[in-house]
Amino acid sequence: MSLHTLNPAMKACTIIGLVFVLAFLFDPVTPFVFTGFTIALTLIFGRFRKRVYLLYLSAFTLFAFGMLWTTIAFADEPARPGETIRLAGFLFPKEDLLMALALSFRVMAFAALSLLFVFTTNMVHFILSLIQQLKLPPKLAYGLMAGYRFLPMMKEEFDQIRAAHRIRGVTESKSVKGRFKQLKRYSIPLLAGAVRKAERTAAAMESKGFTGERSRTFYRPMKISTKDWGFPLLMFTVLGALIVLSIQLDYFQWYNGQF
Amino acid sequence: MKNWKLKEIVVLSVLSVVFAVVYLAFLPVGKLLSGLFGPIGYDFIFGIWFIVSIIAAYILRRPGAAFLSETIAATIEVLLGNASGPILILTGMVQGLGAESAFALTRYRSYHLSVLMLAGVMAAVFSFAWGYFQSGYAALSGGYVAAMLIVRMVSGAVISGVFGKAIADGLARTGVLSSFALGRELRKKRAS
Repeated sequence: MSLHTLNPAMKACTIIGLVFVLAFLFDPVTPFVFTGFTIALTLIFGRFRKRVYLLYLSAFTLFAFGMLWTTIAFADEPARPGETIRLAGFLFPKEDLLMALALSFRVMAFAALSLLFVFTTNMVHFILSLIQQLKLPPKLAYGLMAGYRFLPMMKEEFDQIRAAHRIRGVTESKSVKGRFKQLKRYSIPLLAGAVRKAERTAAAMESKGFTGERSRTFYRPMKISTKDWGFPLLMFTVLGALIVLSIQLDYFQWYNGQF
Repeated sequence: MKNWKLKEIVVLSVLSVVFAVVYLAFLPVGKLLSGLFGPIGYDFIFGIWFIVSIIAAYILRRPGAAFLSETIAATIEVLLGNASGPILILTGMVQGLGAESAFALTRYRSYHLSVLMLAGVMAAVFSFAWGYFQSGYAALSGGYVAAMLIVRMVSGAVISGVFGKAIADGLARTGVLSSFALGRELRKKRAS
């Protein structure tokens, strides 16, 4: 099994389904174990530069840690203030700490799932699969693909505008107010260029016979085969098993009016 | 979607792509503010994260423009690597629906500044209700949560409503929008 050859729409739907289930879990253990499982799965069955993946992952871990900290620091009055946990020399209410841990591990689980998708999916294949499996209107889908292609060009355009301003003697300011003005000076030309390009692209597409109708053919047909069902089966089985385990071992916490 | 012109769709998606990058760029700013002020830090600049729906709706003036642009921007943000993961797509949808509701209220007839500001406020209210559930604001104390909501509503009105309109108007003045609803309106105004 390779994560790269899975049907992208199937992969996306599975992940959204998992996210939905995870959002209702409020114990810290289940999302923690599931995060570990997802990361392991991504590393074993994905082909990409592992260093880049780990870089992203560590950034997201930092984010989750920040969330842990703010949730504890700004917590509501605990219902049972008597139960506390000592950690690094501080006393925390047990309830708050567990809740904060659950929220942060949930963020980590979401991040791991989204990285699994991003690192193993080709954007064009994803959009083609959205048209063919999820019946996204081709007009919107191809418009999106065209728009997405502009992203790398934006950077180039930005550098050009900047150089054009500087060569005409507009100096760059370092103060906050100056930077704000600068942002305004760059953003309008950048957007104007993008709109012009979008208009030209649309004209080019239409002149080559693009109508946006559904009854079109595809150079790259995307299909769902039986092996694609293995992915949702595996993921939901593991998550289900973890939930059953948590009920068995009695640390299970469902959405229960906490929010 | 049927009566949309292709170029309107491409412009919508380009705007979404550009602002997805802007949204990502503002995350560290929010992080910094929340480091200084706590979770409310994000709310000061929360309006920035609704801006594309107001700009797209104001330029294109089509039902669904606000919702679609925000949803697409959120999706691209996830694909570029936002730590919140796929749940952010739902967040984007909720915010887009909020902004859309204000335009639907006027039956897509009025795009006056007050409507745009209302769209920002509605996006703030919708996103707050969603965040209350999803990010667990109930774990925070009541007065603090109320303050967060008010700050976010003001931010939505000012940043996405007022600034969003300013950006779109600035864009229209360059003349590139002449074949879109906003550009046509500007031309009519100048002619009369």
